[in-house]
Amino acid sequence: MKKNFLSGLLGIVVAMLIGALIMLVQGYNPIETYAALFNYSIGDFYSFSSMLTIAVPLILTGLSASLAFASGPVNLGQPGQLLMGALFATVAGLYIDLPSILMIPLLLVAAMLGGAIWSGIAGLMKHWFNMDEFITTLMLNMIADFFTYWAISKPFFDDGAYSPMTPQIAKSGWMPEFGNFNTTVIVMLIAFVAVWFIFTKTTAGYEWRISGENSLFARIGGVKTSKNYLLVMLLTGALAGLAGGLIIMGGPHRFLKDLGANYAWDGVMIAMVANNSIIGTLLYGLFFATLQSGALGMELITAVPSEIIMVLQSVIVLVVVASRGSLDIIMERFAERKKVKERAI
Amino acid sequence: MKITIGLINGMIAAATPILLAALGGTLTYYAGIFNIAMEGMMLGGAFFAVLGSYYSGSWVIGIICAILGSLFMAMIFIVFSIFLKTDEFITGVGLNLFALGATTYLLRQIFEVKGAFAGPGIVPVPNIDIPFIKDIPFVGEILSGHNLIIYLTVLATIFVTFLVFRTKFGLRLRAAGYNPTCLDTSGVSKDKTRIWSLVICGILCGIAGAYLSTGYVTLFSENMSAGRGWISLAAVILVDGHPLGIALISLLFGFSDGLGLYLQNILPSQFTSMVPYVATLIALFIYSNQKKKNEG
Repeated sequence: MKKNFLSGLLGIVVAMLIGALIMLVQGYNPIETYAALFNYSIGDFYSFSSMLTIAVPLILTGLSASLAFASGPVNLGQPGQLLMGALFATVAGLYIDLPSILMIPLLLVAAMLGGAIWSGIAGLMKHWFNMDEFITTLMLNMIADFFTYWAISKPFFDDGAYSPMTPQIAKSGWMPEFGNFNTTVIVMLIAFVAVWFIFTKTTAGYEWRISGENSLFARIGGVKTSKNYLLVMLLTGALAGLAGGLIIMGGPHRFLKDLGANYAWDGVMIAMVANNSIIGTLLYGLFFATLQSGALGMELITAVPSEIIMVLQSVIVLVVVASRGSLDIIMERFAERKKVKERAI
Repeated sequence: MKITIGLINGMIAAATPILLAALGGTLTYYAGIFNIAMEGMMLGGAFFAVLGSYYSGSWVIGIICAILGSLFMAMIFIVFSIFLKTDEFITGVGLNLFALGATTYLLRQIFEVKGAFAGPGIVPVPNIDIPFIKDIPFVGEILSGHNLIIYLTVLATIFVTFLVFRTKFGLRLRAAGYNPTCLDTSGVSKDKTRIWSLVICGILCGIAGAYLSTGYVTLFSENMSAGRGWISLAAVILVDGHPLGIALISLLFGFSDGLGLYLQNILPSQFTSMVPYVATLIALFIYSNQKKKNEG
């Protein structure tokens, strides 16, 4: 844990230095840019609560990826599952109108169902035909992309709109906002605690962890690995779907084109830097959200294009993961030297 | 007749970038590297092809820039996966996202546009008419008049086949994947062999990128590789890396792409765009079934 923290910090510092170098080469002032970036994301309550709203889909897709990778399945389908979740929540919100207290849970369930169906397809392909989920989920992402694009431009198209989008969902399905604080954050936190509890405190979670570390050992030890595989696929799909539903219910209240594009791979990235740890996913999710929400403010103040954040994020992933490995090697060497010295005495 | 020729030519055109990237991927596959970075290398290549071609007014410079851009991506992969021993899968994903972020950022920074850049200044790679053959009816229309890079791809397929199965380097390459320790103990560095496989992969992906942005169409748009790198990876896995098998599979994907365009009269365009990805799933299904039969 301590080592992970150290390598994470080191990685972030190095990545930000590389970012500063890129800015310097282009003639921007890096200190001013970073100051604006953080000022616009965590500088005051308003920015802080916007940052939290952005963190919701990041952390949920990150949890989905972490949980999958740590339990074995290489589910790379978060983008597609997010889109299908968003579509299910939107369609339910268009045709059903109930009091808020029933409507909100209903839409959340619809979103999770959408995501779980999409990941379930990949899960069954593996279960029945032994098709590798690593490729099937990627292909399903593309298919979901085109499918939702069709859905919002033909059957659920808003007649008054100029670009592909659906009408707004029923008002009762909107997540309440207090000031700038969106209650989607609370749903995300509940999901986070639930995932943490299942993964670290229950028998099922224990079986998943063991399967992720050594699937053969788990099977010999009596774990039903293929049943667990399907369960993990469904649960991780549901998490990504929930992210999609919350985007609709908290934000534009309708399905717009390119809705999930920004979050597409962020979940996988966050899981990777967090080394699939559940708590780590929360922390890195918040950090990536800070970068993303500060980006527009940064562009406003310093004219540095906000796209630089995409570069910065991928550099962070590479450097953090690389420094984690290098730190291992360095520490091993230290330990060896210590051993040699002890023997010499 | 016209439709058949159109379908065949569409198939060849759509297969080319996948085939080029997959040829690169197969070299790293034989070398025992889990390389998923073709997508990023291709995207980098596509951007720098437009950049080079636009500012120099020459498609040759465009292709050279594409290769350099793609090699830069390959270099990052080499630094992280071989020198720093970072997980290959994570390096690949990180690199693909880096390529996406960097090209989007540079597109905005250099051309000052968001989304896509299509200036008249971009010089496309020319189409080549083969003398005599072009006058033969039907055959001429299929064999002649293609983009220069398509003919390069045919040469590249032969080159890679020869390289892998008929040269000393190819033997070492396969040894690096089959038994790396054995290669190391016999005095040939496995790391060096792997680095070379990545360099050639970078060059091939660069040409694939150049074809995307200055051959197939003449523009650069964000994320224009659109999963082709992933499809090429699937192609490599499906035929266990054999270059001729890859050529066949790529043509199959190309055909499904062309078929999608042809179906546009019947189905909404969003569904026809799905066809290559569905085709990949079907191919994977057949492959998995075959494998099960062989084992069982």
